[in-house]
Amino acid sequence: MEVLERPAAMPLPTDASLIQAVRALVDGPLAELASDIDRRGVYPKSILQRLGEIGALKAHMARGNHGNNNEEPGDYGLAIRAMSEVSRVCGATGFMVWCHEVCGLYMEQSGNPALMGDVLDRHNNGQTLGATGMSNPMKTFAGIETFLLHARKVEGGYVVNGTLPWVSNLGPDHYFGAVADVEATSGVETSKTEIMFVVRCDAPGVELRNCPSFSAMEGTNTWAVRLTDYFVGADQLIADPVRPFIGRIRAAFILLQTGMGLGVAQGAIDSMWKVERTLGHVNAFLEDRPDDLQAELDDLTARIMVLAETPFGCDKEFLIDVLDTRAHASELALRAAQSALLHQGARGYLMSSDVQRRVRESHFVAIVTPAIKHLRKEIARLSAEEQPA
Amino acid sequence: MTTAVASPKVDPASLAWALYICRACGLIYDEGKGDEDSGLAPGTRFADIPDDWACPLCGVTKNDFEPYVAVVVEKNARRVTPGGSRRTGSRHDAGTVIVGAGRAGWQMAEALRARDGDMRITLVTSCNGDVYDKPLLSVAMARGIALEKLPRETGHAAAARLGVKLLAHTQAVRITPSIRQLRTSRGTLRYQHLVLAHGAEARALPQFPASLCWRINHLQAYAKFRSALDSTPQRIAVVGAGLIGSELANDLALAGHHITLLDVAARPLAACLSEAQSAQLLEAWGNLAIDFVGGVQVSRVEPRVTDAARSGKQITTACGRVFDVDHVVLAAGLQTPNRLARSAGLHWNNGIDVQAGTLATSVPGIHALGDCIAIGGQVSRYIEPIGRQAQTLAAGILGQATAAFEQTQVPLRVKTSSLPFTV
Repeated sequence: MEVLERPAAMPLPTDASLIQAVRALVDGPLAELASDIDRRGVYPKSILQRLGEIGALKAHMARGNHGNNNEEPGDYGLAIRAMSEVSRVCGATGFMVWCHEVCGLYMEQSGNPALMGDVLDRHNNGQTLGATGMSNPMKTFAGIETFLLHARKVEGGYVVNGTLPWVSNLGPDHYFGAVADVEATSGVETSKTEIMFVVRCDAPGVELRNCPSFSAMEGTNTWAVRLTDYFVGADQLIADPVRPFIGRIRAAFILLQTGMGLGVAQGAIDSMWKVERTLGHVNAFLEDRPDDLQAELDDLTARIMVLAETPFGCDKEFLIDVLDTRAHASELALRAAQSALLHQGARGYLMSSDVQRRVRESHFVAIVTPAIKHLRKEIARLSAEEQPA
Repeated sequence: MTTAVASPKVDPASLAWALYICRACGLIYDEGKGDEDSGLAPGTRFADIPDDWACPLCGVTKNDFEPYVAVVVEKNARRVTPGGSRRTGSRHDAGTVIVGAGRAGWQMAEALRARDGDMRITLVTSCNGDVYDKPLLSVAMARGIALEKLPRETGHAAAARLGVKLLAHTQAVRITPSIRQLRTSRGTLRYQHLVLAHGAEARALPQFPASLCWRINHLQAYAKFRSALDSTPQRIAVVGAGLIGSELANDLALAGHHITLLDVAARPLAACLSEAQSAQLLEAWGNLAIDFVGGVQVSRVEPRVTDAARSGKQITTACGRVFDVDHVVLAAGLQTPNRLARSAGLHWNNGIDVQAGTLATSVPGIHALGDCIAIGGQVSRYIEPIGRQAQTLAAGILGQATAAFEQTQVPLRVKTSSLPFTV
């Protein structure tokens, strides 16, 4: 007889000092700025840079000399906890932390010397800022969309054309990872191929265009990006072919995102406790009370911490668990944010209240790629028995 | 709470004609319809059937049948919307949630509904929920049963009849026992009781890539396999000469295909037949296109393109023998998926470990029956116990008295129609 494995109790932070430093930053300067980020579109560049300085943007990156065998694997659990601390105070900044960190993941895993070494060190320390334009390719690989960027092979590389509708955490000196399909050459039917590469916002052929306002997170510096004969040389290549690369980083990409949902949920639960003394006698009639939600959040966090120990797992059952925790984090953020508003009542509905802001942030967590529906569709696809064609 | 319990009502149409169920395979004999294939005219009373009559599906005798009452529930006796909806109504109470729509899942729904007309029942299944008799899959080709005739009732119709909310094409992902929630690919259900009836799956082995080898353990896989067989005779390798492998080989050969039946054992059905019986079976197969190759271990299966019109597979054994075929069917036994059990921390012993008499799992509120359970480490993959397991569990869930579940010896009918055996 055996008892099949269950998640262990939540491990203590391996680097409590990092979490403390993040808390000091987010509960101080970021909390001051959160409303302006949300409504006035203030981009919190200094906060992101400061997060880089204290090491909060690189917990997931392998330590040691890049490319040799002495590397210590990164701590995805710590990265997720740090992102959760940021998201607890400001969902928009938490999202940009993910954008930047996942860009670092692309660079680290590219094996391309031009994207590693000092370049990656500066990225990891927040001295330069990166982002990700992977929503479209991820949905394309899942059979939901088709590629928006198209590459043509030319002497010494590729030229890329097309427009991505919204890419966040951009600026004139920023860069992001993107994927284009490669046009078949000379009409000969070849198998579909793609390239993954870095787009530098200040390079020729790159145009950042205004995109419509969203319901929240105005300060995420989100732009439509039009590429016109944008040249991709060897120095910018992240992966070719792309599919095996995505297969390798997929779990890490999704796992990191859970930090956003966990943090938004935690912020919402905290705001429920703030009114417990005065409104507890009526809030007792609500479902989803803070102690219940906290227990569910703690269980989910413990489960994610176990998965985060093997961020590059490719096993089908592991991937289903990763997708399910990401979905659960979104669902919990939605429920907690909604319940926080019900707990706070009119005071939470004031435009100045973080409680109503968090409702809109939770909506973002639930719809940003992969959205809840995408996650469930992918779980169903992975669960289906493979059969001969 | 209402105390009006709808007692099982006998369908008016069957007042005149009684139903009897085969304890071995679940086939239902309807007196009104008779069984014309074996010469029983419509309207033949069960009592009037000759004693030497055999179950048309599995071949056991008339003595192995017992009376069967189809559950019909009065519409006003329940509150739930009848079947078909794919929405979970996520945060509402889903009542008793059953995972799996094979025989165990539907028997569970029937047993609960017969005892309680009000209970909210939700059935979650990754397939469409159609009700069918799995033993038929072993004999359907030789009998010329068309694919569309295999389901007895659509999942939608069964759900409507029983007042069950059916979540078809829905994957159960994870159980959170502390808050009694089941996470699924269509949202999260809150359950009062959870019944795991998800069965077992065909064992996957690394040398048999799923993209090249058929594994047939349910109607959907069987249907896809049948559709893939051309009307022209095919060369089919069946790997594993146990019950499923031998029955399928037999059926496929009778349908005109050429079969190579491979097994690590030296003789077919080595686990349940004597040497003499195996020899008799091989002799009976002498008239069919079945080549039994015993004592071989398959080391790999690879695609093999013979010509543009026909892509085949090549099997290589450890001893170096090579077989070129059109299809490979892997019938090397079953394994029980443990995702849900693992997530709930259920005790596991070769399957979901349940108590012998009560069928209780190690976690309150979670129950299990059918192919996914093990009692003292023993799995049972036969039809007969399932109905009794469902009755025991239904009574337990409703707090009603019932006899404890007993494991009994059931006749096992080997449906190798060339020479059937009862062991």
